[in-house]
This record gives sequence, structure tokens and C-alpha cells, in this order.
Amino acid sequence: MERRQFIQSSFTAALIAALGGVRWARAAETIKVGILIPLSGPAGLFGASSKNCALMAIDEVNAAGGILGRQIEPLFADVGGPPADAVQAAQKLWKAEGAEAFIGMHDSAVRGALVGVFRGQVPYVYTAVYEGGECAKGTYVLGETPTQQLQPVIPWLAEQKKVGKWYLIGNDYNWPRNTNAAAKDYIKASGGSVVGEEYLPFTVDNFDSNLAQIKKSGADAVLVTLVGGASVGFNRAFASFGLADNALRLGTLIEENTLMGIGAANSKDLYASGGYFRNIDTPEAKAFAEAYTKRFGKDAAVLNMMGESCYEGVKFLKALAEKAGSLKVADTEAAAEGTTYEGPRGKAVMHGRHVARNIYLAAANGAEFEVVKTFENVSPGSNCG
Amino acid sequence: MEMFPLYAMNLLYTIATLGLIVLGLAVVFGFLGVMNMAHGEFIMIGAYSAVFVQQAGYYPLLAIPLALVVCAIVGWLVEWGIVRHLYRRPFDTLLATWGLAILMRKCIEIAFGRKYRSIDQILPGTVGFAGIDYPSYRLALMVAIALFFAALFIWYRRSNTGARIKAMMSNPELAAAVGIDTARLARGAFVFGTCSAGLAGVLMAPLVRVEPYMGIDYLLSSFFVLVVGGLGSIQGLVTGAAVIGGTNVSISTLSGATGGYLAVLLISIVFLWLKPNGIYSRG
Repeated sequence: MERRQFIQSSFTAALIAALGGVRWARAAETIKVGILIPLSGPAGLFGASSKNCALMAIDEVNAAGGILGRQIEPLFADVGGPPADAVQAAQKLWKAEGAEAFIGMHDSAVRGALVGVFRGQVPYVYTAVYEGGECAKGTYVLGETPTQQLQPVIPWLAEQKKVGKWYLIGNDYNWPRNTNAAAKDYIKASGGSVVGEEYLPFTVDNFDSNLAQIKKSGADAVLVTLVGGASVGFNRAFASFGLADNALRLGTLIEENTLMGIGAANSKDLYASGGYFRNIDTPEAKAFAEAYTKRFGKDAAVLNMMGESCYEGVKFLKALAEKAGSLKVADTEAAAEGTTYEGPRGKAVMHGRHVARNIYLAAANGAEFEVVKTFENVSPGSNCG
Repeated sequence: MEMFPLYAMNLLYTIATLGLIVLGLAVVFGFLGVMNMAHGEFIMIGAYSAVFVQQAGYYPLLAIPLALVVCAIVGWLVEWGIVRHLYRRPFDTLLATWGLAILMRKCIEIAFGRKYRSIDQILPGTVGFAGIDYPSYRLALMVAIALFFAALFIWYRRSNTGARIKAMMSNPELAAAVGIDTARLARGAFVFGTCSAGLAGVLMAPLVRVEPYMGIDYLLSSFFVLVVGGLGSIQGLVTGAAVIGGTNVSISTLSGATGGYLAVLLISIVFLWLKPNGIYSRG
């Protein structure tokens, strides 16, 4: 071989080896996961706990080898504002920064907008409590549905507490309306009746006329689907009028922060139904709560079902990716049914894009929750045909 | 109609608390022409004074003087540093006080966090009368507000300072020429406005939700009341509170909270359109 040829071919060989080496290094790089949580706006209260729980899950998964052998690199974005802003934030993570999957803990308006943007091209895990019925391609829903939260709980309360006259009060949008529609069936099935139904705009902070109606109706149970500050204000006023002596309250979105706002003095006979509470008594849940306090300190954002759902989201994503063998939507769609994973909430199994899981009924004990009944493996109902 | 006493009490409570909440803005906007967009945040400071006292374990009623002192200091600084330079520039005061509101919210968020706070009730329980049970604290609060307004009304009518304020409002240049220290009066009025807001916050704290963003709703309600009642008089404030509060409560009782809010909006629109100075307009 001539010297020039030798130099050229060895140079080419070296180049190919170098390029091949570079590609090999890239294959061992991280897997970017977009984590969409509310850091501002009305749900901004849950931002800190969501981020903390997501980080805990990511560190655990990475320590155990990551997803499909690649370490997770989280990309956080604030989706607490209007859906248009959330869409921009998500697109930035997806197109500009190369996120390969998304985990979202936010409201349904944002979810609707994101589904329209993703169009089933990237796996999207939705973890928040919601109204049910999300069936878009590529979307996997871990959040509790009204069916799950109420179907076992209403009959149990009706029987144990001897209540039969239910008053339904919530904010005026789709989640409370869907919840109440489901509740009416279960109330009727348990032999009770609905003595009132009210929907309030978000601007209301004076509930005196509603409380007068509740008293007038003679209700002995109130299903509260108010959210955020309205829930705090309503429950405080409810107790201050002495109505807690005559009627119990059941809420499907009353978590630790709301309970703290309501206060110990106003929480008599206040029940909450959901997938997670900080004080769940199982070994997994206690270990999780201890690890959280150890890592983030005593004054960290309080553990609640919204924040903790982000932990579940990461664990589920790993289970889904392992089962599917990749994070391409075609593969995850084929593998999703039957995916299971375990976490502080217990075991969850995916059916029809939603998960069957344990539901806990907790009673307010002062300013903390105490689980009074665990319903195991509750079906999410039929959401997607 | 055995619910009538309860409805009547709800109405009186709404009017009384609206009056107290709006008083600060009525003074600042009515007498000085300053649209204080941070009005709700002074109410928030009052509420967080109660949070502070409760956290530190002090005697709960100490929250009231604490709220007044903090709001006086902050109000004084705001008037001296920001508002005084912008008296004849309404849009600039709007912007400046809105920025101030954001700053105040963020400071409280940094100091206390975003979580909801629960202020313990110092007067728990209910009082039974006329066949209903009404919370004791609310009754005490309504009585206190009524006495406060009565005293304020008499003071404004009878006192020299009240006369000077009326003079300053109707003709500032002439008032200054006559020897009234308008700058000091204006500062005093502004501080009174912020202290009233703080007082409203600390007294209402056991009844409402307490978190850094609580003030925004109060600003909105205050605006409705002032549009209807007119600026610059206590009668206007009380009338505005009565009309807005009364409409909201009555319509809500009859056809739901959405109807009540709609009625408030419609009334405000009608007043802005036909009687923009309100019922008791200034001068």
C-alpha cells in the first residue's frame, strides 16, 4: 500500500472508530423525562411536594439502574398557569430539550391542551385525581376517578354512620359535576337520597347562604367537591355554625394542606377518600414518609396525595418501559394493559389506561388524617369503552 | 319562614364585614384619589399578624395591636416612598401599588410559605336565639364593627381634623393656602387606610382562609362596593356595602351563588354606566 493511501485509510479508520465511540457513549446517556407540575397559580401549593416526591422516585430508580439501563434526567416545567402557557412549556421540553416521556400532575384543562399537543407521539403519564374519561392514545392515567373514590366509600359510610340524606356541594366545573353524577348512583344504591345539589363559582368565599340551605334540608351527610381555598373556607364556616354536630362531611379532594387550613377545631366528622394519605399505616407508606422527612426535613412541604402521585408516576413509567422494552408509543400502547408496579399506596394494576388500586378512607383526627378503612384493589370503572 | 332570622343575620354579617374590609380603600381612594392595588395585601398582613402571634404562642389578642403597628409602618413607608410622588398620576399609582402588592405577597410567601394557615377561634361555639344558632365570634365582630363605624362617623362629623380633611378634599390648593398641612393630612389618611385594612385582616382571620394570595378577592369586592356607594363618605361606604352585600346574599339564597355573583356584576356595570360616581358622590 502506498504511504498516502495508508495515511488516508488509517485516518478514515481512526475517524470511524472515533465516531463509533461517540455514538456508543451517547447510547449510554440519560433518558430525559419531562415532569410537568404546578409551581405557580392556584395549585402552586402542591408544587414543592410534587417536585420532592418526583426527585425521590428518580433517585431510587436511578440507583437501581435507571429506565432500560439509562439514568433518568428530570426536566421540570411549571404548568400551574393557563393551558396556553403549559403547552409552551411542554413543547419546549419535548422539541427543544428532547424529553422522551412526560409525567403530569396538573388540572384537567392543562391535560386537555397537552393531549392535543402530544397527539399520541410521546408517552404521557397523568397522575392527578380527576374526573375520569381520558382515553387519548399514549396517555396513561394513574389518578383516582370518582368511581374509585366513591363506589366503596359511600355504602360503607351509609351503613356505618347511618346516614342517608346527602347534600352535594362543589365548585362549578367538570370534576365536581362528574363526581356528583357518579355519587348519585351510589347514594341511591345504598338506600339514601340527595337532598340538595349546589355548584359555586370559584370567586365565592362566603358560604353562609349555602350553609343555611344545608341546615334547612336536614342533610346528615355532605359530599364536598369544593377545591382549594373554597374548601377551607366552607369547612371552617360549616363547623363554626355547629353543623358538624348534625352532619358528617366526605371530601374527595381534601388533603393534608387543606386539612391544616381547616384546622383541628373544625374537622369533626370530616372524612376524605383518596389513594394516598401521609399517615397510611402500611410498612411501605411509613418507610416512604420517613425517607421523605429524612431527605427534605421536618419543615418540608407536607406530603399529600397530589405530590405523592408524582412518585407513583415515575415508578409506573419505569414499569411500563420495562414491560414495553422501549419508550416508543407504539410499544407502550401494546404493553400498557396489565402493567403493575408497587409504591407507598400499595400495588396498582393498569386496565384500560387507568389503574385499579387501594382506596383509603381517612377521618380527620385533629389536624391530621387517620385511615379508618382500606378498600383493596378498587376498579377505576370503565373509562375507555 | 323559620329560616328568616338566619338569613337576616347572614345579611347583617355580610354588610358589616364588607364595610370593614372596604373602609381602608374607601379612605385611600375616596379621600386621596389613590387606587391602592395593594389594599388586599394589607388585609393579608393583618391576617398574618394573627398567624405570627399564634405561632409564637403569645396571647391571641396581641395580634390586633401588632397588625395595626405593622400596617402603620408599612403604610407610612409606602406613602412616603411611593404614593406621595404620584398623587396626580392615577395610572402610575395603579402600576406602582400593583407592583407593591406582588412584592408583599412574595415576602409573606418567603417568610411563611404557601400553605394554608388556621387561626384558632378565641370565641368558639354558637349563641342560640330566635330559633337559630349563630357563631359567637361573628356576633361579637358585628357589634364591634357597628360601634367602630358609629364612632368614626361621629368623629368625622365633629372633629377639627375631620373638617380639615373635608377642606382638603374639596379644594386642596385653598386648604394649603389657609394653612392646613395637606401633606401630613394625606399621609395620615393613607396610614389610616392601611391600618383599617390590617384591622379587617386580623379580625377576620379566624373566619377566612389565610394564605399569601388571600388579598386579591378582597380588592375585587372593594371595587364593586366603591363603584356603587361612591367615594369620599362613610354613608357611601355603608350604602355600597349594603347594596352589594345585600344583593349577593339575597340572590344567592334564592338562586345560587352564581346568580348572586352575576347580580353583583350587573349592578356594578349599571352603576359604572349610568351613575359612575356612585350613590353618594364626593362634592
